Amino acid sequence: MDDFIDGLSEVACDVLVIGGGTAGPMAALKAKQKNPALNVVLLEKANVKRSGAISMGMDGLNNAVVPGYATPEQYTKEITIANDGIVDQAPVFKYASRCYDIIQELDRFGIRFQRNANGDYDLKKVHHLGTYVLPMPNGETVKKALYRQLKRERILISNRFMATRLLTAKDGRIAGAVAVNTRTSEFLVLRAKAVILCMGAAGRLGLPHSGYLFGTYENPTNSGDGYAMAYHAGAALANLECYQINPLIKDYNGPACAYVAGPFGAYTANSEGKRFIESDYWSGQMMQEFYNELQSGKGPVFLKLNHLHPDTVGEIADILHRVERPSRGRFHTARGTDYRETMIEMHISEIGFCSGHSASGVFVDEYARTTVPGLYAAGDMASVPHNYMLGAFTNGAVAGEHAAEAAQETDLPDYDPDVVRFERTRVLAPTRREDGIPPNQLEYKVRRLVNDYLQPPKVTSRMRIGQQRLAEARQDLETALVARNPHELMRSLEVSSILDCADMAAHASLYRTESRWGLYHNRIDHPEKDDENWCCHALLRKVDGRMISEKRAIQPYIVPIETEERTAYERLRVSNQA
Amino acid sequence: MATFDPFEDFGDAEEIVGRLSDADPAVRRLAVIDLSETATPDVLLHLLAMVEDSDAAVRLQVAIALGDFDTIDTAGGLVKLVMDPDGSVASAAADSLAELKDPAAAPPLLSLGTHPDAFVRASGFRGLKGLRSRIALGPALNAMSDESAQVRGEALGVIAYLKLEETLPSLIAATRDAEASVRAEAVNALSFTKQLAAATAVAAALRDDVWQVRAAAAQSLGRIGQAFAVGSLVAGLADEYWQVRQKCLSALGSLKAQSAVADISAQLASDLPSLRKEAAAALGEIADPSARQALMAHASDTDPDVRKTVRWALTRIG
Amino acid sequence: MPLALSPTAIPVIVDEAKCIADKGCTVCVDVCPLDVLRISDLTGKAYMKFDECWYCMPCETDCPTGAVTVNIPYLLR
Repeated sequence: MDDFIDGLSEVACDVLVIGGGTAGPMAALKAKQKNPALNVVLLEKANVKRSGAISMGMDGLNNAVVPGYATPEQYTKEITIANDGIVDQAPVFKYASRCYDIIQELDRFGIRFQRNANGDYDLKKVHHLGTYVLPMPNGETVKKALYRQLKRERILISNRFMATRLLTAKDGRIAGAVAVNTRTSEFLVLRAKAVILCMGAAGRLGLPHSGYLFGTYENPTNSGDGYAMAYHAGAALANLECYQINPLIKDYNGPACAYVAGPFGAYTANSEGKRFIESDYWSGQMMQEFYNELQSGKGPVFLKLNHLHPDTVGEIADILHRVERPSRGRFHTARGTDYRETMIEMHISEIGFCSGHSASGVFVDEYARTTVPGLYAAGDMASVPHNYMLGAFTNGAVAGEHAAEAAQETDLPDYDPDVVRFERTRVLAPTRREDGIPPNQLEYKVRRLVNDYLQPPKVTSRMRIGQQRLAEARQDLETALVARNPHELMRSLEVSSILDCADMAAHASLYRTESRWGLYHNRIDHPEKDDENWCCHALLRKVDGRMISEKRAIQPYIVPIETEERTAYERLRVSNQA
Repeated sequence: MATFDPFEDFGDAEEIVGRLSDADPAVRRLAVIDLSETATPDVLLHLLAMVEDSDAAVRLQVAIALGDFDTIDTAGGLVKLVMDPDGSVASAAADSLAELKDPAAAPPLLSLGTHPDAFVRASGFRGLKGLRSRIALGPALNAMSDESAQVRGEALGVIAYLKLEETLPSLIAATRDAEASVRAEAVNALSFTKQLAAATAVAAALRDDVWQVRAAAAQSLGRIGQAFAVGSLVAGLADEYWQVRQKCLSALGSLKAQSAVADISAQLASDLPSLRKEAAAALGEIADPSARQALMAHASDTDPDVRKTVRWALTRIG
Repeated sequence: MPLALSPTAIPVIVDEAKCIADKGCTVCVDVCPLDVLRISDLTGKAYMKFDECWYCMPCETDCPTGAVTVNIPYLLR
C-alpha cells in the first residue's frame, strides 16, 4: 500500500455510478432492479461501507412528504418560495411525489424511522409551515443496510478509485470515465452507456475558522470532484452563486441540529437568550439573519437548551451524540460544556456548493438528466434545491431507473484513447516532480483565498482580485505541485477540484448582478433583488475551454404561487445588511 | 504495465468457513464478520453453528451478524443467544431480534415469554412488537401483570401496535401501572381510538404524579378528540410544569375548544415565549373572533415566533 | 523547493493490546472515508498515518474489539 504501481485496466459496463454515498447506492440498486441483465458498476473514492455525507448515519429525514402530514403540492410551493422563486418545479414535485415510497423501501432495508406508541410514523413539526421531520432512531446503521442491499443485488463495487474525468464520444454522448486508485495510482478506464454522478457537495471549498483543513461541515471527501468533472465534460451547472452556508456549533463544525432539538423545544438564540430568526423555511434568508445577529451587539449566537427539563436535554444529547456526528459529545465534554447549564456557542460554516441545503448544483431535469446526453446527476451535487438525504435517495432512484432504460437502447460509445493518454499525463504530473509544493499547502492557500475573497458579503472588486490570486495558485498547481505517494496524489487531485470550484464560485457570483437568497448571494454593491432581470437560472458551462455563464428561463410553475403567499413571506424579511 | 481486477469480491464462503474453526478466537471472530458481509443466506447455517462457540466475543459477533439477515431462520439462533450468560451477547441478540420483520418469527419469540429472566422475557416481547402478529396478543395481555416493569413496557408495545379496540381495558388498566414509563406509554397508545372510556382514563392521567405522564396525557387527548376533555385540559393550564401547560394548549387547539378561549388567551401573558406561541397557535386553530383583541395585543411581541404565530392566527380569524 | 516535516498531534489512537489487525482485521482501515489509517509493517497493528481526520468515528464504532479511540483534533478543541 502507498507505493506507486504503473497499471491500467479497462472495464465496460452498462451503467456506471460514480460515488457510493447516499444517492449512488440507491441509483445502482434501482438500475439493477429495473433490468437485472445490466452490468452496473458503483465506483467509490473511499469504501461504500462508510462513505459520503452519511458515513456515520443521519438523525432523521428533514423533508419527508408523508400522506396525512403534507402534500407534494404544498412541499413544492414551500421550496419555491424558500428558494426565491428560482426553481424548476418538475424535479421538486417528482421528488415530493416519490419520496414516501422510498421511505417505505428504506424501512424494508432495516432503517428504522421513529414510530409513535401505536407503530405509526411519528413526524415532527419543526417550522411554521408543513410537517416534514421524521427522526431515525437507528440512523447510524443506514450505510450498513445499503451496503448489504448492494451485495445482495450483486452490484459490482469498486472501492478506493477516484474518478478524475468523464469520457465523451465524438457525438458528445457520455462514454465513461477515467479513475485512479487512491492507494496505488493505477488507472482504470470505465466505459459505460450511461453515467450517474453522485459525488456529493463541494464541501471543502471554504476554510473552517479552526484552520483545520478537514474540519468542514461536509464530509471532507466531498471535495467537489463531481462539480469539476461535470464542468470539464461540458455539462451546465446551475446557480452556483447560491452558496451553501450553514449554522453550526462553533469550532466543532457539526450541524446545529435545529431539526433534532427543535421538536423538543430548543431554539437558536442570541446572547440574551432570545429568539431572533424570522424566516420559516431553512434558507439563505435565515442565514442572513443568523449572520446579522452574529455581527451585532447581541451576538454571538447560541443553541439554547438550558430552559428544558434535564430529562429532555438528556434525550436530545442521546440522539445528537450517537448519530451523524457522534464525536460532538466528546467535543463538549472536553470543554466542560453541559447543555443543561449553558447555551452552546454557534457560528456559520465555511462556504460550499450543495443543493442538499441550498440550490447550487449540476443542472438536472425531473429525470436527473444533465445537459450532456447519457450523463445523470443526483444527490447533493445535482440542482434540485433543499433536497437533503431523502432527496439524494429519491433522485438517485429516479436517475438509476432512467439510466437503465437509456442504457438498454444504446450501444457502448467509443472514446478517444488520446484523451486517456492525456489524462494520465495530467494526473501523474505531480508524481514526476522531485520537490515542489505539497497538496496540503496548496489546498490551504486556495481555501484561504476563498474565505478572503469569495465568501459573502460579496464585493465585486474583491472577487476580481480573488480571481487573480486563484489564477496564480493554478500556475502552482500546474507547475509545482508534488505528490510523493498515491495518497498525496489523491489529495492533489482534490485540490484541483477545489480550485475549479473556487473559479466557478467567483465567476457565477460576478455574473448575477443582484442580491438574492439572503446571505448566500448577498452582493454589497448590488444590494437589491432584481426580479425584472434576474428571476431566472444562471447556468455556467465550459465552452471551447472557457468558462461562460448564461441565463435560462424558469420552467412555468406546475404549482402556482399566489402573489399574496409570496408577499406574506416577503414581509418576514429582514435587511441584508448587518 | 500491470492490469488488475478493480472489483470487490463477493467473498469465498468456503475459505471463510474454514477459518470458523481456527483455534484463535480473534480469527474466528473476523471470519464471522467476513461471512456476514457476503450477505448471502447460504452462509446462515455456518453462522448458526457458531452460536455455541466457547468464546463470548465470537458469540457477540454472531449475535450482531444474525441481525443483518432479514429471515426467520435467524430466530432460533438469536433466541439461544438472548439467553447467553454473557450480558453483551444477550443484549446484542435482543437488538438483533428487534430487527426481524416476518410475522412467521413470532412462535420462537413467544417461547421467551415464560423465561425466568426478565431481560429475556422483555426481549421476546420487544422483538414481537414490530411483527404485529395477532398470536402474540394473548401472551402480551398476560404479561401486563408481569412483576418486571421492563416486561410490562415491552408487552404494552406489542398490544399497542395491534391497535385493537378489544385491548382497551388492558391499555386503560396500564394507565394506572406502578411504573411511570409504562403509564406514559399506555396514555400515548390510547390515542388510536375515539372511545370515551379511553379519553376518560387519559383525562385522569392529567393528574398523574409524574409530569411526563401528564404531558403525554395532554397530547393524547388532543389526538383522541373528545370534547368532554376540555375541562380537564383547562385545569391542566395551571400545571406546575410549563411542558404540561404547553401540551394542554396544543390539545385545546386540536379540540377547537371555543369555551377555553379566555383561559388560553390568559396564557398569552406568560413569561415563556414557547407558551405564548402555543397559546397563539391554539387560538388560531379555534379561530374564534373573541380572541382577536388578545392576539392583537401581541402583534409586536418581542419573540419572532410568537409574532409570526399571532399573525397567522389573526389571518385565520379573518 | 525542498520539503520539511512538521509535527502534528494526531486525533486517532489505537490500543495495540486490543487491536487484532495482526490476525487479519482491516475494519478501521476499510471504513475510514479519508483513508488515513494503515496497518504498521513493524507492529502489525493499526495506526493513524495521515492527520486528515473528520472525527466521524466509523473506525471507533466498527472496530470489533474496541481498540480505536477518536479524539477531537487539537485545533478544534
